[in-house]
Amino acid sequence: MNDRPGGAAPQVQSPEIGGVLEAPPGSGKRYERTGRAAPPWLWAAGLLVLVPIGVPVASMLARVLGASDGAWDVLFNARTAELVLRSALLTLLVTTAATVIGIAAAWIIVRTDLGAPRLWGVLMLLPLVIPSYVFALSFLAATGPRGLVADLTGIAVPFLDGLPGAWLALTLSTFPYVFLVTAAALQRLDPALEEAARGLGASTWRVFRTVTLPLLRPAVGAGALLAALYTLSDFGAVSLMRFDAFTRVIYAQYAGRLDRTPAAVLSIALIVIALGILWAEQRTRGRASHYSHRPIRRPTRHRLEGRRRAVAVLFLGTIAALGVIVPVTVLVAWVVRGIDAGEQIAVPWNAVAGSVVGSVLAAVLAMAAALPVVVLAVRYRSRRTEALERSVYVMFSLPHITVALAVLIFAVRYLGPLYQSLALLVVIYATMFLAQATGAAKASLLQVDPHLEEAARSLGKGPFRVLRDVTIPLIWRGLLAGGALVFLTTMKELPATLLLRPTGFETLAVRIWAAADELFYARAATAALVLLAVSAVPAYVLIVRPKDATS
Amino acid sequence: MRQVTVFIVALALLGSACSDSGFGDTVTVYSGRSEELIAPLIERFEEQTGIDVAVRYAGSTELAATILEEGAGGPADVFFAQDPASLGTVALAGRFSELPEDIHAAVPARFADAAGRWVGVSGRARVVAYDTTVVSVDELPATEDGFTASDWRGRTALAPTNGSFLAFVAAKILLEGEAATLAWLTSMADNDAPTYAGNSAIVAAVDDGQVETGLVNHYYRYRLAVEGPDTVVENYFFPEATAGSLVMPAGAGILAGTPHRDAATTFVEYLLSPEAQEYFATETYEYPLVPGVPVASGLPPLGSIPTPAVDLSLLATELDTATDLVAEAGLL
Amino acid sequence: MTTAPEPAIHCHSVSRRFGSTVALSEFELVVAPGSILSLLGPSGCGKTTALRVIAGFEDPDSGSVTIGERTVVGPGVSLPPERRRVGMVFQDYALFPHMSVAENVAYGLSSGELGRVYEVLELVGLAGMGDRMPYELSGGEQQRVALARALAPRPTVVLLDEPFSNLDAPQRERMRREVRRILLEAGATAVFVTHDQAEALAVADMVAVMREGRVVQVGAPHIIYARPSDPWVAGFLGDRVLVPGTAGIGQVVTPLGAFPYRGRANGDVQVMIRPEWIHPIPDDDGAATVVDREFYGHDQMVLLELPDGQHVQARIGPRPLLDPGDRVSLGIDEVVVYHGSDLAAPPVVPPAD
Repeated sequence: MNDRPGGAAPQVQSPEIGGVLEAPPGSGKRYERTGRAAPPWLWAAGLLVLVPIGVPVASMLARVLGASDGAWDVLFNARTAELVLRSALLTLLVTTAATVIGIAAAWIIVRTDLGAPRLWGVLMLLPLVIPSYVFALSFLAATGPRGLVADLTGIAVPFLDGLPGAWLALTLSTFPYVFLVTAAALQRLDPALEEAARGLGASTWRVFRTVTLPLLRPAVGAGALLAALYTLSDFGAVSLMRFDAFTRVIYAQYAGRLDRTPAAVLSIALIVIALGILWAEQRTRGRASHYSHRPIRRPTRHRLEGRRRAVAVLFLGTIAALGVIVPVTVLVAWVVRGIDAGEQIAVPWNAVAGSVVGSVLAAVLAMAAALPVVVLAVRYRSRRTEALERSVYVMFSLPHITVALAVLIFAVRYLGPLYQSLALLVVIYATMFLAQATGAAKASLLQVDPHLEEAARSLGKGPFRVLRDVTIPLIWRGLLAGGALVFLTTMKELPATLLLRPTGFETLAVRIWAAADELFYARAATAALVLLAVSAVPAYVLIVRPKDATS
Repeated sequence: MRQVTVFIVALALLGSACSDSGFGDTVTVYSGRSEELIAPLIERFEEQTGIDVAVRYAGSTELAATILEEGAGGPADVFFAQDPASLGTVALAGRFSELPEDIHAAVPARFADAAGRWVGVSGRARVVAYDTTVVSVDELPATEDGFTASDWRGRTALAPTNGSFLAFVAAKILLEGEAATLAWLTSMADNDAPTYAGNSAIVAAVDDGQVETGLVNHYYRYRLAVEGPDTVVENYFFPEATAGSLVMPAGAGILAGTPHRDAATTFVEYLLSPEAQEYFATETYEYPLVPGVPVASGLPPLGSIPTPAVDLSLLATELDTATDLVAEAGLL
Repeated sequence: MTTAPEPAIHCHSVSRRFGSTVALSEFELVVAPGSILSLLGPSGCGKTTALRVIAGFEDPDSGSVTIGERTVVGPGVSLPPERRRVGMVFQDYALFPHMSVAENVAYGLSSGELGRVYEVLELVGLAGMGDRMPYELSGGEQQRVALARALAPRPTVVLLDEPFSNLDAPQRERMRREVRRILLEAGATAVFVTHDQAEALAVADMVAVMREGRVVQVGAPHIIYARPSDPWVAGFLGDRVLVPGTAGIGQVVTPLGAFPYRGRANGDVQVMIRPEWIHPIPDDDGAATVVDREFYGHDQMVLLELPDGQHVQARIGPRPLLDPGDRVSLGIDEVVVYHGSDLAAPPVVPPAD
């Protein structure tokens, strides 16, 4: 699977998603289900992971359902209809753009002889390291009458905010998902099909349109729906771009009103919409897994010549520029600008400490919490364990601001000393992103022969010792990859941190967003560069060298 | 494995140290005022008194709501807010304790709570910040109602979640009634007024050329001028006494039932000390409320601003309605 | 070696189904202590499931299993695998890849029993290899380690799942002997599962033939080979010649001749003869004709045609070499008579030729 001669787009362990999208075909030996029922304490541990999010969301739902009609007014009025339409429009635009870019990039890199596929593949995935609000920040700071572009070139580029700005920022944040699944699917596609079509006289474009694309549709559909989910859930970019999407309005309702109920009502509505998209994504993914997993021989790569080649390079180059080079350049330029203007530019150590501590703790907790879920899913597979896995994925898909609001409301009332504590925040981080840890760990555990654990049991060791002596040593690489994913995602996380953090606890994400919101671009840029620097190491391991990250 | 465990535990301790204050006396301040403006002052306080201050920065309205939700026994010791409406809301809910007489009497009576539950610390006037390169003073209307005209479409920025703005809306309700206020808000929304998170964002946006005017507090413009002498933003005071020219204080109160009452009292006292008042005058360009502290040069005298006669303690009673109206108008 | 009177393993009426598939159907098995028993049967007959039930990796739907004096699974009781003191050798050996040979073997021992590790490594012929890692070993060596690991904690029984199927042919022969030697020397009670009848017959003291979830015959190898309980078992255990016959009083008549018969069957019966019980003698007046032969070096299988056209196989030594067309007469050592599909009639005496 890893050393496919035809293409080298990094393999399926996608950052942010881990193995959640699909386990590589042929992974995992055919395993027998253990014949004993799963011990009850394992189920208790597995179900426990659902509590930190499940209970507060259920509580918020109950509160909303029991609320007075006045609170429901916020939902059933013309303005909310506008809100839904606006969010739908943004989602549609972003998904379309991300899909087109993702497919095109995947096809060019995997199926043509453009060259340097590994390099291009990495460039297409690097935007995943950059939070959406940093994209937003860089475009806001670059445009406008006193923006960077105007400064450097004298041309007053129109200010890029609102819908166009949000569209651009979110497209760049989400197209890598589509790219990743499409590239993986293209590599598994039997080239004989396309070759047969060409032999029958179809042009390259026609082959692509009538053969390749339909076969790719399930995988692409899953990636596109993921992009939609991400867009719907995003808070940082839309709030900086001042585009009134659902999440921004929820936050405004929370921050600007004395009663939290209207924000809760809107949150429930957003959750329902997100679940709808999730349901559609699950159905698409189910169909995708019916594909044949025959080993593929090397596909012939289309030759690109002359103008076509130039266009392809231009296309990929533009995406890479917008996705990586431009944002970083703008950030650096703003820092330089700030220093020149005599602003106090310093590394925000308090925020760095907060980010790193929070992310590491979240990653460790997520790895630990992933173990019972994954052991249940792989060794004791049943309809119920599949429901558990799906629930973990649902938690991953809920918009973070709605989860944060539910937990905040719940914590302030019922959780006493845990309210505004770092422990609670870390628990919420870990449970929101648990799916990344379980995805990676599951892919690892599938490779482990269950006989090893049974042998250990037959030698007199109880389940805990077997876990410690045999299972964990053999899956720690995959587990660690999952932990690295959680670390990266937590570093970028914004709305939950905003709402739940302890007094005095700051993270780079909060700092970037707060500074950018008040147009302190130099300060925001500094924090953003520090964030990218800290994210670089796990990102390198996960994106550039995925082989090392998986067992 | 063991080293990993030690590392994790160390991290956890470090993490809690990040959030908790250290040894000695501590006080937790919920600040509706921005970090940019008052962090330096708080640092000075910490150095002088040795008291550790944990500050939670957020919007005044948001913090008022949070304090109400937290109820008695919440973590806040002091609420330092941008506007009397937020303060009054907390006072009405009975969550403030009465301030010592000397604190309460340090400022003129109209800038403090009649029942002694909160005290104003620095005065601010609502103004229109405008971009001098594209707008001339004569164009600007006499009251905020003028901005609803169609030729002002998209040219006036608001900060609908900001405490000062909501206090202004509450004042408008008190002066002109709910219907008129809702009409104004709706017209502004229909007029595509851009919305920002706060006052400094609006002023920076005006300076940046993103928007032409905005309803903000007076002092931001001066700070901008200090940072970059070539700023193009100027303040415009409404010539008529209207809700839009409200003068009100930022202020503080001590939460009832706080276990750090002494430290909290020291903190509020400090805000009224000559040193702090001078800071407000010369660093943030606000109006010091304690008599005897000179105002920064260039500011119009407080008494010369045409301001409506509104009982500031009543603003809180209309705050809930104000936020509802803002939401109803579609600005939130 | 224990001489406890009760059996080392007793499976009583164990049933297990997976969905609509029945794996075990009132499975009965008794294993005497110190003996090596083979569970033999075609794939899908449930033998591996039976093993896993004994080990504790499967819970039966009904029935009970007793190991030594303890009921390890039964109504209201189900001991987890780690408490059953059952050693297990898996088909793929399942050596812990991240531990050395010595660590693997020591895994089931409480700490400090280093001596036992060396003792057992020596027993399996791997003395001095304690520091190697599993991936450095050949298949046969890995199997020995797996065996050593299972034997080290002195389990009550050792279970082996298709232990030789992962080895190539020459290794297989050698390891069969080795494993039997090791088990005997260790005094272990062992049950091993296989689908290879030659293996079962060669290695085990007792063979239990399984079919569709139940045991159809148990006995010592030479007995069940010579007296299989039905034609299916006969065919499963080796080559067989099956001819129709007619049973009467005192004798049974077959195309190969008449034989004394003291069973109770009357009328049509099936008669089973092992090829090695048929001795073709060159005879120009003989009734049978050689049709073909397969020469194996140490023996040959000869295909004979009977006067009525039926073909039977005979297994003889390498000499004399019979050619197609040769006439032979047939000497028969013994036959086994089946009435319907029932258990065989009582033993038959060699014909009085």
